[in-house]
Amino acid sequence: MFNSLRMSMGWVHTWMGLVLGFVLMICFFFGALSVFDREIDRWAIPDTRFEPQPMPSFDEVLKPVYEQLRPDPVDMAATERRVVGSLPDPETLELESLFAYTTHRDPVLLIGGEFAIPNEPIDPTDDHQHVHGRATVNPATGELLNDDALKIGSDWFYPMHFSLNFNWMMLGYWIVGLAALVMLAGLVSGVIIHRKIFREFFTFRPWKNLFRSSLDLHNMTGVVALPFHFFFAFTALVIFASNIYLPVTHTTLKPLHEHHEKLEAARTGLPHEPAGVPAPLASVDAMVAEAKRRWAQRDMAGEVGFLSMNHLGDENGYVSIYRAGSDRVALVGEGIHFKASTGEVIREEPPRSAVSSIDEFLTGLHLQHFEHWMLRWLYVFGGLLGAVCIATGFVLFVEKRKARHAKTGSQGSRIVDALAVTTVTGMVLAAVGMLVANRLLPADLPGKGQWEQIAFWSVWALAFLHAAWRSSPVAKARHNPAWREQSLLLGLLSLSAVGLNWITTGDHLIKTVFTDTYWAVAGVDLSLIATALIAFFAAARLRAPVSEQKADNALSRNKQVNAYD
Amino acid sequence: MNSQAALQTTNRIIAAILGGYAFTWGFSVLGITSLVALGIDFHEAETGLSLIAFLVFLGLFLWAFAAKSMIRVWLVLAGGAAIMMLIGTVLQNSLLS
Repeated sequence: MFNSLRMSMGWVHTWMGLVLGFVLMICFFFGALSVFDREIDRWAIPDTRFEPQPMPSFDEVLKPVYEQLRPDPVDMAATERRVVGSLPDPETLELESLFAYTTHRDPVLLIGGEFAIPNEPIDPTDDHQHVHGRATVNPATGELLNDDALKIGSDWFYPMHFSLNFNWMMLGYWIVGLAALVMLAGLVSGVIIHRKIFREFFTFRPWKNLFRSSLDLHNMTGVVALPFHFFFAFTALVIFASNIYLPVTHTTLKPLHEHHEKLEAARTGLPHEPAGVPAPLASVDAMVAEAKRRWAQRDMAGEVGFLSMNHLGDENGYVSIYRAGSDRVALVGEGIHFKASTGEVIREEPPRSAVSSIDEFLTGLHLQHFEHWMLRWLYVFGGLLGAVCIATGFVLFVEKRKARHAKTGSQGSRIVDALAVTTVTGMVLAAVGMLVANRLLPADLPGKGQWEQIAFWSVWALAFLHAAWRSSPVAKARHNPAWREQSLLLGLLSLSAVGLNWITTGDHLIKTVFTDTYWAVAGVDLSLIATALIAFFAAARLRAPVSEQKADNALSRNKQVNAYD
Repeated sequence: MNSQAALQTTNRIIAAILGGYAFTWGFSVLGITSLVALGIDFHEAETGLSLIAFLVFLGLFLWAFAAKSMIRVWLVLAGGAAIMMLIGTVLQNSLLS
């Protein structure tokens, strides 16, 4: 079918890149926003606009909070379908394990736990026999925060970039996984097919038109950030490898895995099963102090990032304390495990092996829990470069074909152009529209988070309808006016988000930058203003009409560049 | 694109995605069991393979489009997957016995 390697790689690059490119836009854009997910949370939940705090005292602050923790109703319903009989009253279920998690950027603390259930599973091999509960706590007071307040950054934009917030059958994850593989294939095939064009670039005078400049930008963003793009797509697959994308050790190799778990429990002394004998809980604060002392002794003094307890209230119960990874690439680590009933150290984790170090370094570079603000911004720009690379790919696809399609009466480039508008300006409109909805809806509205999600999808759907409605000029080899109209709207919407933040919370930029500095909110506001400026600039540039001569150029150029489609 | 070309393209896409995935799966099963048999820690082997697996998948994915013969592609992908799966599970059973 393909006559040469270059032809086949060109096909993969063009068509796989086009189809999964719409998904990749979402991954790169929302991935870039995820770099500042906690800061977006602060913007969206004004009650939590205070400074990040270390893990509070367990004995005094957290212990009573866990007593208020209840099973999540959604997980109750999901678990009910997997077990024999109906579940007991959620009020009566008891915690069997718990965790608390914070980072150097979190003013609020995330806590959660697993509630034991007496029911037998319908599928005997199903060993997931508990219901989860989760809550957000103000670590200063131990007060539970309103669950209705959606953390737009960390609970919507962040999962959007790896699951599309489409959790049915985990389909969102699988689509993103395929997109990541296609991103890798797109980079390799891109290098192969562009070898020749690279030479032409120096030989011929660059065409000063949309096709040529888009191609230049496509190559530039693709090549300059190639290691960055390759790295993120690759580590995305590695991060979810053992649980989602390649769960060999939970399926084919499950027997070997379980065998190993039991051996490891015996070796490390961390009990795999509860003893069935009730036991009290010793002072956890004393364990935390001991863990900090041991880290300091190893010359790596630090704060607690993750604290967990297993087999709660049982003789075999143990407490695991992990150090926050604010000062290095790998995530939490240096775990020290204590016997819950006595507080004695059971196990101190040894230094990592070479393979684990590589893995933790790579995944840590993707998940970036370290404290380095300049690097965070570089990540944002890297992610946006990826989005530019894909968006210019769409433009190339359309520009290369629309003159030919106009002659043959094909609707192909028109459809692609409408989808490109939807996933470029439409997507940003949805994100900013959600922030506007967040400021317009009253804080005490029941189910406010649901309404914000509805606003997000509605804006996006409207952007698609608008793009499709305005797309007919593309079929006549002209530009879709939706690009300009949505850019204009985006500029206005971004500015109104900044204004609404001021009106509803009193936090304007003079305050958040100068008089009462709070960079999380200032950063979101400044980014919205930057978005508005770029959107207005784009709208102004798009106002220029396409001359007849340029359309002719596009036609003649077509003969030279449609080698592989 | 005529119907025969469409069929060939579909064949290549299925081979690249599903065939490549099956081969990668078998490769991981055989890789992990082999490393454990050589005395390497289970989680080390699991992590090591997850770092290699997707590079193998990427290579297979591109090869399924670049290869001249689709018969060879399917022989290697499906056959390789089946053989590695078989050896891997036999190895697992002998490790557990």
